[in-house]
Amino acid sequence: MLIVLVAAVASLLLGRWPRVRIGVSLAGGAAYAVVVAAIDWYVVLAPDAPGAATYQVGDWPAPFGITLVVDGLSAFMLTMVAVLGIASLVFSTRVLPEIDRRSYYFPLFHFLALGVTGAFLTGDLFNLFVWFEVMLMASYIFVAYYGGPQHTRAAFWYVSLNLLASAVFLLGVGGIYATTGTLNMADLAQRLADPGAYGLEPAPVVGLFALLLSVFAIKAGLVPFQFWIPTAYRAAPPQISALLAGATKKVGIYAIIRLSFTVLADADVPVELAVPGVGTVVAGDSPLAFIGAVLFVMAAASILVGGIGAVGRDSIEGVLAYSSIGQVGFIALPVALAATTASAELRHLAVVAALVYALNHTLAKGLLFLAVGAIRSATGTSQLSDLGGLAGRSPPLAIGFFVGSLALVGIPPLSGFFGKFLVFDAAARAESAPLIVLLLTGSLLTIAYATRTWNRSFWGARTDAVEEASVDVVQVGVVLVLATAIVAVGVGFEPVYEFADAAASAALDSEAYVDAVDPVEPDDLGTGGGEH
Amino acid sequence: MTAVILAAVVGALFALGTFLLLRRDLIRVVWGLAIISQAANVYLLAMGGLAKGTADSVPILAGHGDHVPQTADPLVQALVLTAIVIGFGMTAFALVLSYRVYEEHDTLDVSELGDRE
Repeated sequence: MLIVLVAAVASLLLGRWPRVRIGVSLAGGAAYAVVVAAIDWYVVLAPDAPGAATYQVGDWPAPFGITLVVDGLSAFMLTMVAVLGIASLVFSTRVLPEIDRRSYYFPLFHFLALGVTGAFLTGDLFNLFVWFEVMLMASYIFVAYYGGPQHTRAAFWYVSLNLLASAVFLLGVGGIYATTGTLNMADLAQRLADPGAYGLEPAPVVGLFALLLSVFAIKAGLVPFQFWIPTAYRAAPPQISALLAGATKKVGIYAIIRLSFTVLADADVPVELAVPGVGTVVAGDSPLAFIGAVLFVMAAASILVGGIGAVGRDSIEGVLAYSSIGQVGFIALPVALAATTASAELRHLAVVAALVYALNHTLAKGLLFLAVGAIRSATGTSQLSDLGGLAGRSPPLAIGFFVGSLALVGIPPLSGFFGKFLVFDAAARAESAPLIVLLLTGSLLTIAYATRTWNRSFWGARTDAVEEASVDVVQVGVVLVLATAIVAVGVGFEPVYEFADAAASAALDSEAYVDAVDPVEPDDLGTGGGEH
Repeated sequence: MTAVILAAVVGALFALGTFLLLRRDLIRVVWGLAIISQAANVYLLAMGGLAKGTADSVPILAGHGDHVPQTADPLVQALVLTAIVIGFGMTAFALVLSYRVYEEHDTLDVSELGDRE
């Protein structure tokens, strides 16, 4: 995390010398990737890895100080961001006009990465809020980056929505603090698992977590909170859209998974939701049942709205933005499944499915947005009606885009196949016919819009714009590297699966999480908190 | 008594903020956002507990010595301070952005911004 901060500040200071700044930015990105790889190895993948590592800022013991935690889940997420971040950074160096290199583009890029990293690492709800704001502040500016009328408008709605979401987030945080007397996630899990021992009344927590869930759903772009996505993604530079879809969205997903399974899973709160005339819809002895039901509805709606919306768009970014909504539905669905199921095995499988799917989505969507960036900087347009015959003009770019589309659709041996396969597998084991029908519909829609985009932009007669296009080698190179990564993940799926498996275990094992953070027991300090 | 007043204040602020948020004038929308975030701050402060502070509510101090002053929960104050700073920055940014919108669209009326692409 320090690395990113240093990179951000350094690139801020070096504004006068654009070349140096780019060099420093790239070095910062590379160093970030190296650190993430080291974390992956030492914390999770090494033979005798501890599974989690913590850092208590300022040496305050856990529930009082700020805690940073890396466990399998955080490490998995960080890896995705690091891969995509590097790709996007290299891409940025080629696509920006000279004037932009002098502006605050690169520092902001690093601040965005800083916010995302912080959100993955923090072990404390309020700090999650702060990192969200760091990340959002950078992303606001990127959405407004091109400075045209529709960009400012998109940015204004984006800012308004997120300010509102922040206020709601604060409400949730405040309420949880008042109810439980702590904000540290490990401490929270500990207290909720055994409310009696701490003298808590945990019932309000369900409602408060529902508030938080709506905030995270906004970040993740789940229906009904999806409306900001298409305009914002279209307004931001493509390489930033890649990051928004690949990284900031995953922060929402990460927060949902972390809070639902690590913090709430053991909570001792019976919930029951009865609809008049239908009877009991949701019942269970933990808030997960409720969260799962809500997520089901959101995910199902996302898959349909995203898929149907994507089929009718007239620009590639539009298609990708809507497809993003649909794909997040595919990620949220197994999460919902994991939340509602009682079987530990199925829950584990479903979380693995969600993570693998998230990885695939990060790679594929990152690749596609970067490909759009390459197309835009080559032809000056991304309207489907102005494109055609790109395949003949630049075969490597076409191959990259093709691989990305196929990964979205889920063709073996690409990474998308395993994502889809695991999601279907989880649904099949849950023996839920409507779920499978829903997934099939979503997949068919994916095939429909992927082929449509492909046909309209890469096949057919060359248009004037394509004829005059000059394709940048480095941009296409980045796209191809990501395509190789997708194929590599698909072919060498075994280690990836193990990593995702470890990540899912980490997400589900709240005891290990609590042990790693090791919050001070209340007996050591008198009663502590809860004086309300 | 304080609790009831505070609850009423938070409620009133939220109501006012939501009302402003739904106006057609962009500046009012920004005002609405600012007021809502202030309402959230007041709420957060109230969540620290309105009872007169005791040594129990400051576990950090309690863990460090015998002489604990009578004080309110300091954590919420730290939280609110952070939230105020962030909210302030965001409001400033939203204001600048609305000025930019005015420059480019020659209007601050939400309904006239429409969906021009």
